[in-house]
Order: sequence, then C-alpha cells, then structure tokens
Amino acid sequence: MKTILAFREEEYAWVHEAFPCIHPLLLPLCNKPFIEFLIDFAIIADSSSLRLLCDGGFDAVERYCENGSRWGIDLSYGSIHPDDTIHAMLGKNRKFCGEERIMIISGFSFIRYDKRLNYKSLANTMAAGEWATCPGGRITLSGMPGKTPAHWVDAPLSLMPLDGMASYYRASMEALESGADRYVLPGYGDEPGCAFGRNVVISKSVEIRKPVSIGNNVQLLADTVIGPSAIIGSNVIIDRKSSVESSIVFDNTYIGEHLKINGRIASGNRLNDPKSGASIAMEDPHLLSGIKKKGVLRSFPRKFTHAVAALVMIAVLFIPFVILRSLLKLRGQWKSARTDFLSEATGMTMSLGKVELSTASSLTSIAAALSMDRYGWLFRVLTGQLALIGSKPLPAEKNRLEITRSALSYRPGVFSYAEAEEWPSSDGDATGGDAAIVERFHIAHSTPLSDISLIIKAFVNRFQEKSIL
Amino acid sequence: MTITETSQIGIAILSLNGTLDALSAPDFRNNRSVIDPEKSVVIDMENLDFIDSSGIGAIVGASRQKRQPVGGIILSCMNDRVRKVFEITNAQKLFHIFDDTIAAVDFAATRQSARA
Repeated sequence: MKTILAFREEEYAWVHEAFPCIHPLLLPLCNKPFIEFLIDFAIIADSSSLRLLCDGGFDAVERYCENGSRWGIDLSYGSIHPDDTIHAMLGKNRKFCGEERIMIISGFSFIRYDKRLNYKSLANTMAAGEWATCPGGRITLSGMPGKTPAHWVDAPLSLMPLDGMASYYRASMEALESGADRYVLPGYGDEPGCAFGRNVVISKSVEIRKPVSIGNNVQLLADTVIGPSAIIGSNVIIDRKSSVESSIVFDNTYIGEHLKINGRIASGNRLNDPKSGASIAMEDPHLLSGIKKKGVLRSFPRKFTHAVAALVMIAVLFIPFVILRSLLKLRGQWKSARTDFLSEATGMTMSLGKVELSTASSLTSIAAALSMDRYGWLFRVLTGQLALIGSKPLPAEKNRLEITRSALSYRPGVFSYAEAEEWPSSDGDATGGDAAIVERFHIAHSTPLSDISLIIKAFVNRFQEKSIL
Repeated sequence: MTITETSQIGIAILSLNGTLDALSAPDFRNNRSVIDPEKSVVIDMENLDFIDSSGIGAIVGASRQKRQPVGGIILSCMNDRVRKVFEITNAQKLFHIFDDTIAAVDFAATRQSARA
C-alpha cells in the first residue's frame, strides 16, 4: 500500500500567525512533529511509500524528513493545486500510485489511533471510500481491496481537526495523557507518563508530577514544579521557583524565576492562552534579568577570577603550545588569520587571531583537544577584552552590531557556556538560537565560583569532543 | 537545451532536455505550440537538468498567452531540483503538475473537450 498526505496552506494558516518560527507540518505535538504522527500511522497501516503533497512551500519539512530512510520508507514530494479533489490528486500522481491501493490523508487534522491495533488488514481490505472524516480532514482509501481475513478485528480511528490554538492544545494534551501506549512518542523513561530527552539537568528540589514530556537539553532549576500535564520542548530552561502545569513550553524558550505557567503555551518570547487565543509578546527574546546593567564594582571579582584562571592555563599549557605549534607549523597544518569579532562594549569590535587546524591527524587532534587554537585568546582575558567563559564571540558584521545592542547580555569568552553545558551550537546567533539561551542564562546568573567549574567542564568537553578526531 | 515536440490526441508534448535559462528561454518562447493561444501544451520536464528565473518566466509567460491560463500549460515529470525552484518562486500554484506525462495529456484532453 502507498499513502498520500495532502495539505493546503489555508488549512494551517493559523499556525503561521500563532507560531511564526515553525513550519505548520513540523508543529510539535507532545515533542514530536505533527507530520511524524501521520508518517507513523501510514507505516502502521502497512505503507511502504509515502508522497507529501502541498500547495505551498515545504522546504523545512523536506529538510527534516529527507527521503524517509529514517522510518524505512520511500518519501517523495509533490505539488497540488489549491482546488484539487482527491480524484485530481490521484491523477496527478498516477506514476506514484501505479496499480496499488492508496490511502489519502488530507487536511490538517490529528489522527487518533492506537499503535497496538491492526490497521494493516483494515486498510488493505476495506472498500474504497472514506475511512474517517472530520471537518477539514479525511482519510480516503482508493484502489481494489484485498481479501477479507477470517478474523476481522475492528480498529477504532478518528480525526480531530487542528483548526486553532485550542484544538492544538487539546490534541497535545491528549497525546501526552494517552502516552506511549497509543502513540510512538520521543524520550526515555522507566515509568509510564514520564518521558525525558537527552541532557536533562534536574536540580534536587525539583518536583515532577506525571504526566510530563521533556525534550533534550533542558535545565530544571531548584524548586521548580513540573506538571501535571506539562510538555517541555528542547533547549529550555525553567528557572528557580517556577511552575509549569497543564502547559506547553516550546523549544528554545526560557521561563524566568518565580513564574507560574498554568494552561498556557509558551513559545520563545510569546505566551499564549489556548482557550481565548490571546497572546502577549515580550520585547526581548528572553527575559532573564533586570534591564539595569551591573556596575563596574560588581564585575570586578569575576574579571579577577577569570584573569587568575587564565594565567594558570597560560602557564600550564605553555610548553605543549610551543611544541605543538612548532610541529604543526612545520607540517603546514597550523593556519591562523585575524578576524574581527564583536566586543562586549556596544558597537565596538576587536581583532582576534583565529587558528584553523587543517587536515585531521593525531597531532592536530591533540592540539584541538588541548584547546591550543584558543591559546592566544587567553592573553585577552588578562587585558579584560575577553572573559574566560562567556558567549561564543560573534563575527563583526554590520547587521550584528544592532543585535548586540538589543541583546540583554553578550560577553565574549574564550570558552562558551554552551560548550560547558553541551548545548548545540547556535552558530553565533545572538538573537535567540539554541545556545543563546544557556549563554544568557549563565551571564545573568553565574558567580566567579560557578564560572570556574564551568570553565573546567568546557575544557574537558572540548577535550573529549576533539580527541575523538 | 533541446525541445522535442510530439503530439497525442491533439495535445502538444514538449520534452525539454538540458537547461532552461536566459539563453534557451527564447527558443521555448518562440515555439509554435507555445505561441498558439488555443493549443494545450504538456511540458515534459523529466530531462530538464536546470531551470532559472528566466526559464520560470518563459513558462509563466507562455501560460498567460493561453486562453485558459491554468489549464493551457501543464507540467509533468518534474525532478526535485526543478520542483524546488518552482516552490521557492511559488510558481507551482499557477500550474497543474503531474508525475506522469500520459496522465497530463489525458487531463489536457479532458479540459480541451470540455471547453469545446
């Protein structure tokens, strides 16, 4: 059997308004993109090939799903006209359909299925026509049915239209409450109703009330209360004494201190009420601390600690640096160039030597593991131009000068907080990429002592990462 | 680019081979079947390796010359590279796109007979 998934832009236009950063077909339901639920169902119903049709662009979906090899199916893409009927879709995809039985899932709706039930025989033997329907969505079967099996087992199936924030919220909560029994959901957990992703840091006093689903790279700080019915996405920080109950927190979101999120959808700097559809947006990408800048006196202990730590590193790494640099220079594997980076002072730039260790060899691997490429930057810590640990230095580009002006905190460092916490790199995005959240969080909250432990973590993480090369 | 023209049940099929860009777009634009406002044309893109904005412009321009802009030019067998260019420019909304040339010809013939 083959499956066609067909969508029209007008069906999901509301998603563009409510969550502008996400392609509607990748809208997460219980930390799993919407499209994956449909792909799962198609596989359960015995589909070997799938074609995704849309009358709008779906470049982001194509990049995410690729050719379907991760699910073990053939996934291809095509276009439809906004007023195409099911019959027209089948005609336009005649080569794909061939003589096989076709299941057409059309419309932006959530399929309520149960992975334990046998949809395979139903899909193959039911008469051609509508299988399930709801306002704005339907599942249709086409082509000759196979022989009815001796033991007919019905498998209930229904559709729920996703026509607004309220229905989206309902579907997410339903998926969470049904849990991994009915759907294939991401995360690990040794008890039902509790799924955790990778690199989740939970402080001792955190209270977790089932059911919850937590994504990757999440930090739950002291005295937070998570759940019941909380869906936390990836790259999220829930700060001290905050609670998230019956709510959805999207990827790359920071929830500040002493906040109570109940029955809401938090997405970046927007907080939405699914029932009324009302939303408020913060001025800054992430609200981490007061707008008031810290005084010079308050930053002195940090700068002093960083300088002392840098001095220790310079002394310890001096001999390895001299030896490795000389050897690599002789072999032509040590290439350095000066690049302009944004300085901590608004609108200013600084020139830093950027070392590239070309071609992977055992020597370059050792040099990278010992962070030799950043040895020269350590001296900038002594002059106060760089912190030993801070934000990833951003290349000085005209458009970025404005970014640092609007950003709450940017403190370029030899090592970055993201490296210490093993968060995915944001590629120097100061506006709110994955790593920007963790970097800003630490810039606002770190103390000289916590910085020292994070410097060690960052150094060790880089050592482990680069030594694999 | 080479254009091979065949006909089936009164529908012209133009098979494009190579690159449709600023250099080759005039050849396409000046094709007799493309110019004829009454004639439905199926463009077989199976062997079209590359298309740029001039190529898209030529196809959109050709469809505007037809009496029935949406059904006058029908596209078939688009490969992924060409499909992405249509998607980026949002031009896919202007055409009926088939994955099979025969199905495209059937569709064009049905439309033509309905019009007659």
